[in-house]
Amino acid sequence: MTDGDYDKIGRAGRERTARWGRAGCVAAVAVLLAGLPWAARDRLPGRLATHWSGGAAPDDSMPLWAAALFPAGLWLLIALAVSVRWRRSWPAVRPWRTMTLAPTATALIGAQASIVRANLDRADWHDAREPGLDIVLVLASTAVAVVLAWRVSTRPTRDPATATPALNLPEGERLVWFSRAANPWLQLLAALTGLIAVGALVALAVGLADPAGLWPVCGGCAVASLAGAAFSSVQAKVSEAGLDVSFGPLGWPARHWAPDAIESARAEHRLPSQVGGWGFRLSGLGTTVMLRAGDCLVIRPRGRRADFAVSVDDAERGAALLNALRRRD
Amino acid sequence: MLLRLDTTDTRPLHEQVAAAIRRAVAEGECRAGDRLPSARHLSATLDINVNTVLRGLRELRDEGLLEFRRGRGITVAEGAAGRSGLQIKVRELIAEASRLGYSRTDLIDMIRGTTA
Repeated sequence: MTDGDYDKIGRAGRERTARWGRAGCVAAVAVLLAGLPWAARDRLPGRLATHWSGGAAPDDSMPLWAAALFPAGLWLLIALAVSVRWRRSWPAVRPWRTMTLAPTATALIGAQASIVRANLDRADWHDAREPGLDIVLVLASTAVAVVLAWRVSTRPTRDPATATPALNLPEGERLVWFSRAANPWLQLLAALTGLIAVGALVALAVGLADPAGLWPVCGGCAVASLAGAAFSSVQAKVSEAGLDVSFGPLGWPARHWAPDAIESARAEHRLPSQVGGWGFRLSGLGTTVMLRAGDCLVIRPRGRRADFAVSVDDAERGAALLNALRRRD
Repeated sequence: MLLRLDTTDTRPLHEQVAAAIRRAVAEGECRAGDRLPSARHLSATLDINVNTVLRGLRELRDEGLLEFRRGRGITVAEGAAGRSGLQIKVRELIAEASRLGYSRTDLIDMIRGTTA
C-alpha cells in the first residue's frame, strides 16, 4: 500500500469518528432537553407554564411529559433535517450544519432551563414566574454560539497548493483579462419590481390608492429592484494592478486585490447548492459571488483563512494570468 | 477575453487599442454578440485616455467588427472573426510592402493585376 492509501484510510477513520461524535452530541442534547424537567419533577406542578405573551402571567401550558418530550422531539427533527444529504451535489462536509445546530441547541436548552426555573416550586402553572431576564440570557448565549460555530466551522477551505499553473507572460507584452457573468432571472426580477415601484409611485402621485398602504410597496419594490440590478451581473478584470471585481451596470460596489495581496488563484466548478444559493454567499467554501452554476474564479487572499470566489466565464485563464502576475511581482 | 498589448509598439495608441481588440476577435477571445467592456472600463484598465480608446473602437466599428448600440453597449458584430482575420492580413501585407519599398498604390495595382 502507498502512503496515499494509508492517508485515505486515516481520513475515512477520522470521518467515521466525527460522524459518531456528532451523533453523540445530538443524542446528549436530546437527553438533556427531555431530562431537565424530569429531573426536577418533584418540585414542578403537574402542568408547566410554557408560553408568555409579553405579560407577567403565562398564557399557555403543557403537561410535564409533553414539556419534556416536545423540545427533544423538535431538536431531533431539526438535527435529522440538516444531517440528511438531500442533494448529491452537496459536499460531504457542510459547515453550516454546525452553524445551524449549535445555536439551535443553545436556544432550546436555554428555553427549557428557563421554563423549568419559572415553574420551580409552584403549585399551579398560573403562578409561574416571568422569565424576563432568562430570555435575554438565552438570546445572548445563542448569539455567542453563532459566533463560536462560525469561528470553528470556517476552517481553511483548501490547500492553496492546487493553484492553476501560471500563464506564460511574453516579454514586452501587456496582458489584460476581462470577464463577466449575468443572471437573467435576477435582471428580470429587478425589471419587474422596478415596474411595480414606478406603478405604485404613479398611483400615489395621482391619488389612486391609500398612501399608507402604497408607500411600503413602492419603497420595498424600489429597494428590491436596485439591489437586483446591482447584483444581477458581475465583471472581473485582471491587469497589472491586480484583480478587480465589480457589480452591476454601474460597477459599484467593487472590490480590488493587488497581485501581492493574493496568495493563489484557481478556477473551480461550483454549484449554487454547494454555496447555499445565488447571490453573495458566505459558506464553508469561503465567500462566493454566485450568479450562475459553473466556472468560478477562486482566489485566496494573503493572510486570510477563507477563499473569495466569483462566478465568471473563462475563469481558468483569469486565474492563470493572476498567478503569472503574482509571480512576476 | 484576453487583450494583448505590445509595450514596444511605436504606433499611435488608438491603433494599438484597435489592433489588440482585432486580434482578440480574430483569435476567438470574444464571439459575435459578446459584449465588450465599456470604453470607460477599458480606458481605466489600459491606462489610456478614454477618447483614444473610443477612437480605436470607432475604427473597429467602421471596419464592421463592432456594433455600437444604445443601452446595449458595444458588441462584437456578426461574422467579425473572419473579417478581423482578413483585416490583420491586409495590415501585415501593407507593412511588408512598405518594408520592401512599395506604396499602397503599387500594392493595389499588384492586386488588380493578379489573376488567381
